[in-house]
Amino acid sequence: MRSVIRVAGLGLALLLALAPFYWMAIVSLSAGAEQITLGNPWVLHAAPYFGNYLDLFRSARFGRWMLNTLIVTGGTVAIGVAASLAAGYALASLRPRRAHGIVTVLMATYVIPQTVLALPLLVEMSSLHLADNPVALLLAYPGLVIPFGTWVFWNLFSADGIRELIEQARLEGARGIGYLSDLILPVALPAIAAVAIFGVAIVFSDYLYLFTLITGDQATTVMGGVETTNVDVEDPGFAFAAMLLGAAPAALVCAWFAERYSGAFTRALGAD
Amino acid sequence: MTPVARHRLELALLLSPALFFVLGVIAYPLGLAIWLSLTDATIGETGRFVGLTQYRFLFSDPAYRAALLHTAEYSGLALACKLVLGTLLALALLPRFRGRRLIYALLLLPLLFPIVMDSITWYFLFSDVHGGINSILLMLGLVREQYPFLGSGVSAMLSLVAVNVWHGTPLFTMLALAALRSVSRDHLDSARLDGAGSLALFRYVQLPALVPALTLAGLLSVLGTFGDYAIVHLMTAGGPGGETQIISSLAFTEALRGGDLAGGITTALSVVPVYLAGLLLVLRLLVRK
Repeated sequence: MRSVIRVAGLGLALLLALAPFYWMAIVSLSAGAEQITLGNPWVLHAAPYFGNYLDLFRSARFGRWMLNTLIVTGGTVAIGVAASLAAGYALASLRPRRAHGIVTVLMATYVIPQTVLALPLLVEMSSLHLADNPVALLLAYPGLVIPFGTWVFWNLFSADGIRELIEQARLEGARGIGYLSDLILPVALPAIAAVAIFGVAIVFSDYLYLFTLITGDQATTVMGGVETTNVDVEDPGFAFAAMLLGAAPAALVCAWFAERYSGAFTRALGAD
Repeated sequence: MTPVARHRLELALLLSPALFFVLGVIAYPLGLAIWLSLTDATIGETGRFVGLTQYRFLFSDPAYRAALLHTAEYSGLALACKLVLGTLLALALLPRFRGRRLIYALLLLPLLFPIVMDSITWYFLFSDVHGGINSILLMLGLVREQYPFLGSGVSAMLSLVAVNVWHGTPLFTMLALAALRSVSRDHLDSARLDGAGSLALFRYVQLPALVPALTLAGLLSVLGTFGDYAIVHLMTAGGPGGETQIISSLAFTEALRGGDLAGGITTALSVVPVYLAGLLLVLRLLVRK
């Protein structure tokens, strides 16, 4: 009985979670607005139309948006992971007196809504001549990843077993690149993946920074590009094709690996 | 170099990148926000010091008071739904079964897709011009004509909450499942041997493990790190008639549309003390040791 409820619940959850994606795919495969304005929008009214996808490859704007998306997402993940790995390691292994307090303050930064930060960030980035430049996003996003990342890595390196391992290696005089690649990175790999996935989720969940810091069509990501065209209600197929092609691969990869690496959260949240 | 100096240098070098970002894109803008809220700055004008005038104006503004109420409704209702659904899904995904990893991955997609795209899609799905939801309701004979979901205050608010829950639940599921896995099988088995039923097992063994995870998920989602501004702005823009205007959307309408930079920032800042009080509680649970 219990397993029946579980299967039914998971089935319903899957249906609700995935239906909007199915709808996006249908719209991206239709020409013009008929798909949305005529009859049942859940079934294709004509043979699949691939023109929207072909248009993407012909569109210079889309290439530009994709490049910006790659730079901003990849850069945020790389900076966020590297900075929080270094900080988490330092706080756990070098054990400064106020490690606990530093982690508390870092986590406390999540209490400041992005709404508060976005407008002053615009003022700050403008004075650095970085408004409407993807670099502004590359500076702003890691600030949202690093506190969480540092907390995850701090927990990892403080864990029983791992702390002793690192202490032993340090006593034996381990230093430098070899120490990093042979000991630290293998130990940290699951947490690195988990923080990376969190970083992608941060970039993809943002609209406020993108909307505030980037105004033009050239400096924006796929997310901003699709929004600035305001999704042509007469023909939304192009926007949906752009979003699916631009974001679906990263989202699918992150989703697939999330289960394997959520162990890093288990460690940080662990009750045992 | 003495060992102590070397230790300090290593510490400083390793901490500096994180501190650079936290100071540069969090602490500095926060300080600037506090300063700007004490001025009459507009977009393009640095303004002059006006003391607490902006705050005084704020609390006498009916639009602000309405937005406060809407924010409490929107965040509170969405949070309650996400807590319950996220926990239930995590419990359903806890035992091993075939295809679990695939189902977990698919359930995570709403969180990992761009919020811009989600919001635009749901705008079309809730539409009363051949909207996706209306077409299903019509087919099932539940409505006679297309229902304007985004056309009146209550149903527009509930629609926004639904999208927020759709997008945010996977974060709760992911963190709750991670926490549930921290409860060892031995612990569960011994509780079962002591005669605990599944309800008692959940209440006394699993729930205590879930509290920090759910608190973290709640913290991240209520504070809008996960995009409630996008949902409101793209789906209703605070309408109809300001009935879904929340603090964040009001702040941006004032600042970017109205040019009232100081007013917008003051609006956004005004809720921070409330969150701070909540956070103090949260941190006690999250940063142990």
